Amino acid sequence: MLPEPVASPMIVLTGVSRIFRRADGQLVRAVTDITFEIPQGQFVCLVGPSGCGKSTLLQMIAGLLLPSNGSIRVADSFVTEPSPERGVVFQKDSVFPWMRVVDNVEYGLKCRGMAKGERRTIARDYLTLVGLSHVEDAWPRELSSGMLKRVAVAAVFANGASVLLLDEPFGSLDYVTKRQLHDVLLRLWAQSDGENRRTVLFVTHDVDEALTLADRILVLHSGRLVDDLGIGVPRPRTADSLLMEEMMQRKHELLAHLGLEGAPAPAARREEMT
Amino acid sequence: MKGNPIQLAELAAAEPAATTSIRGANRRKISSRIDPFGIIGMFLLVGIWQLLTIFVPSSLLPAPHAVAWRIANDFFSARELTYFGLPDASLLGSMLYTAENVVIAVTIGSVLGAVTGLVTARFRLARSIIDPVVLTAGTVPILVAAPFFLIWFGVGRSSATTLVLIYVCVTLYLFAQKAADNLDPVYEEFARTLGATPRRIVRDVLIPGTVPQILGGVRIALAGAWGLEAIAELLGSQKGIGKVVELFAGAVDVEGIFAALLVLGVVAVLFDAITASCFAKIAAWNVVVRPGGR
Repeated sequence: MLPEPVASPMIVLTGVSRIFRRADGQLVRAVTDITFEIPQGQFVCLVGPSGCGKSTLLQMIAGLLLPSNGSIRVADSFVTEPSPERGVVFQKDSVFPWMRVVDNVEYGLKCRGMAKGERRTIARDYLTLVGLSHVEDAWPRELSSGMLKRVAVAAVFANGASVLLLDEPFGSLDYVTKRQLHDVLLRLWAQSDGENRRTVLFVTHDVDEALTLADRILVLHSGRLVDDLGIGVPRPRTADSLLMEEMMQRKHELLAHLGLEGAPAPAARREEMT
Repeated sequence: MKGNPIQLAELAAAEPAATTSIRGANRRKISSRIDPFGIIGMFLLVGIWQLLTIFVPSSLLPAPHAVAWRIANDFFSARELTYFGLPDASLLGSMLYTAENVVIAVTIGSVLGAVTGLVTARFRLARSIIDPVVLTAGTVPILVAAPFFLIWFGVGRSSATTLVLIYVCVTLYLFAQKAADNLDPVYEEFARTLGATPRRIVRDVLIPGTVPQILGGVRIALAGAWGLEAIAELLGSQKGIGKVVELFAGAVDVEGIFAALLVLGVVAVLFDAITASCFAKIAAWNVVVRPGGR
């Protein structure tokens, strides 16, 4: 079992909202008045149905979008733009097709001005950790989707970000590849302890994926935070872990929030403003 | 070098085999670049041409062998052209002049067009100002502007080169702008989250990400540039392969016209092959520009 994370807040959201203007001129509130804190080192999954504002929220924490209202602080600094301290693994393939695998992994370190020999060693270490040391000189087009995700994960970890934001990174992968990547991700996350443990916010709509990975699950619906569930089941979690009573109870709660069973999900849709 | 005699013997025996295998690989590489159907097509064209000469008088359609003979005769020195007082009175000299103009125009036009296209793709204000100008220039048939260039720049190198340069510039502007528009924003976002500065994003994302489409545009522009340059020379020039065609046309020398056009065509095809090969090396990561797929 992994040691408990240190409980100083790494990510703090206060009253965060985001409004978009549609092509027809109507204003759409994608995220409404979200407030939460994530302690340093915690692995948090953000779960919710499609279009509930999960990716918008993640992009705001990444600094790729600015909130219309409220504030976001990461490591005591207000988020106003992207930063290498907040690494992002995107839903789409983001690995640069024009760089070889190893060049992709070391790109962030190159941007930071690290010497070539040093960054190459770090990149190779992370490629070994994700099981891709044999393809370091390959072009991305020569890799499978799962391998590309491994490269993206390696690039973000190699860059030394203290916060990792993952936007449905494994959504398009088959079950086996997805499970393998869960193991890779958790292995990398568990590499460092205490103050060095990375804080992870992982967006998914897959309830089992969230239960397998998370210390804590935040549930988003219609742009609002509707639940905050702690997962106390020890790691490493296997397929059998999902059959434990606590997991089954959490799963039912989550499915109810998604409107699939039990108590109905909040009826409110995205609030439209004119 | 000392060593076990048996091992050395094995090495000696293995070396020719390795050399043969490399030579074999090179042969396979070369043969894979030569399309047998292309050769069949060329033979078919020459065959049909030869067949037509049976029915069409040689004053209208010279035989392939006669044209080949004419190229061989006029390549280094063309007696017929000296009558017209043409400097560099040879197919080679005229072709070199035309090729120089095309290379100058395509190089400058490509750089100008690609840079402007990329800038306008990322700066809305620049796009609002430049787009109408370029699109208007693009809709005017470029040959219609030829008389103006002749008036402005005279019958020297400048007028023909400017004509081709404008055509190439407009083509590359559109290609580069479209390539930047189509570049998935996720690459720039990924670079930003890894700590890339705006300058690095241009150098490491925007330029390499758009290079395959831009190089494709250069090849298309180059293909059109040969014809435009020849026509510009034909309309008003003292030198070049277009001028040669004009002189031969004035003398109703069909064999000479065929010889000049064939030289122009062969040089254009060779340039395209060399360009494609260079571009395939520049954008080796991209399947599209690699000859024969991945």
